[in-house]
Amino acid sequence: MSELVESETSPLGQPRSGGPVAMRLENVAVSFNGRTAVRDATFDVTKNRVTSLIGPSGSGKTTLLRALNRLHDLTPGAKVSGRILLEGTDIYRGNITVTELRSRVGMVFQRPNPFPTMTIYENAVSGLRFNGIKKKAILDEAAESSLRAAALWDSVSSRLKVTAGQLSGGEQQRLCIARALALDPEVLLMDEPTSALDPIATLHIENLMTTLKSRVTIIIVTHNMQQAARISDDCAFLLMGEDRAGELIEFDATEKIFNNPADSRTLDYTLGRFG
Amino acid sequence: MMNVAGLAPTPDTGHELRAEIRRTSQNARARRVLVSRVMMTLCAVAITLAAVPLVMLIFELLQKGIPVLDTTFFLKEPQSPTLLSPNATGGVSNAIIGTLALSIYASIMAIPVGVLAGIYLAESDSKLASVLRIVSQTMAGAPSILMGLFAFSFIIQDLHIGFSALAGSFALAVLMLPVIAISTEISVRNVPQTLREAGLALGAKPHKISLKVVLPTALSGIVTGVILAISRAIGETAPVMLVIAGGYTDSWKPLDPVSALPLTIFMNAKSEWPSLRAQTWGIALVLVAFVFVLSLTARIWASRKQKVGN
Repeated sequence: MSELVESETSPLGQPRSGGPVAMRLENVAVSFNGRTAVRDATFDVTKNRVTSLIGPSGSGKTTLLRALNRLHDLTPGAKVSGRILLEGTDIYRGNITVTELRSRVGMVFQRPNPFPTMTIYENAVSGLRFNGIKKKAILDEAAESSLRAAALWDSVSSRLKVTAGQLSGGEQQRLCIARALALDPEVLLMDEPTSALDPIATLHIENLMTTLKSRVTIIIVTHNMQQAARISDDCAFLLMGEDRAGELIEFDATEKIFNNPADSRTLDYTLGRFG
Repeated sequence: MMNVAGLAPTPDTGHELRAEIRRTSQNARARRVLVSRVMMTLCAVAITLAAVPLVMLIFELLQKGIPVLDTTFFLKEPQSPTLLSPNATGGVSNAIIGTLALSIYASIMAIPVGVLAGIYLAESDSKLASVLRIVSQTMAGAPSILMGLFAFSFIIQDLHIGFSALAGSFALAVLMLPVIAISTEISVRNVPQTLREAGLALGAKPHKISLKVVLPTALSGIVTGVILAISRAIGETAPVMLVIAGGYTDSWKPLDPVSALPLTIFMNAKSEWPSLRAQTWGIALVLVAFVFVLSLTARIWASRKQKVGN
């Protein structure tokens, strides 16, 4: 394995809640053309909890998140080392295909990106269709239940046949959440899902996350510390090191990270002294 | 005079400076307004100069073209005027059908290959792709008579297929190919990366993303490029004049000799019969109408694209 991974086992990797583990990260590092972007990420993501990744720009939050469903695969020169386990299976080397992984680990992006040529309905079921599901009954049911889960059904059920571009930004983002939920994933990755939205739409999405966690484990990258404090149960704090590579500083229950962190840099950051 | 530190009044210098700034900027503004007026006038003159020949051309086209348009013009095959009936020109149905047939066959050949090539250029980073890109850019700028020469030597001399619609549409297809490939490449590249990522994150295989996400999103741009390529090909004389033999009869058959509107303009304009020379304007008007309708369609498609892309 790569020399980027430090052999020393970090004490950070203990599950904090004691609950079952959805994803385990062991010394995960991501590099692009030999330059390390993030390293030392070791922590457990507990099932049915919201885990947030916080830290200033350049600390590698998004890079780390994208490694969790192998979105770096298509980037030339990208290399992920360490181990990422989904239910005990190594997602890079284990017995799991990348398409299966991505249907089990969904993703919502920073800017709403519904497919512009598809209708609301087609967007909601696009993941199922990509994975070969054609039966109309299944698609219809999945469309309704995922749109309901994304708190969008009531406002769009009468116009499922219009193109997704006609929805507002917040609705588009909830459609993207519905699209990911339709595959019934175990884990949902969210990359600053509210950064392009207004406060009301943000509130909708935040409330949604709190209700959704009973059915899906959520990992969210956020710039907004209040958001992390409000919605997440566990929190990973990352910081850019001296060589400009992001590294995990501290992982703990959100309450501990914000009130009584082990590392003084975490305290400085959460108090807004930098970043 | 003694001043208490910090309370020293410096009103005069401050006011003078401010007045100086005001004065200078006032002058500068006046100068800019003048320059701006002069430039606007020059622009108006320039646009008039550019518009005058165009307006004259359209005026002349309508004035001379409309009178020769009648049912004979559209529905009858051409005749040779004689000294006894110098106005018996017949119609140009052969050229109208020929132009339609040529563009349809050329489209059938060029669109699938051009679109697929464009997708390949957009999606591949290989050496082959960059070579092909340079080739198609060069081809797009090549003089169109070259396509005629190539069709002549390849279709007629090498393959021994006679002077025909097929040979002509082959030449036009070669002409359209790079235009379609380049516009397809641009449209496909313009599809936001985030949409591809969204597809990937849903577990879609790359070819599914190309087919179900990228292509539909790029479609209006691709269609616009195709229509512009057709409207360019429709007006070309050079590539077809060497290979279609200017047939005088109506025929949709690919292997028959056909005529084309631009070619008929070229032939009639040289004629010693005034009636045939007069007919030229009608043909030109029909050709311009064809191209106009195609460009309009392209514009409508392009605006559709903007609506979808928001």
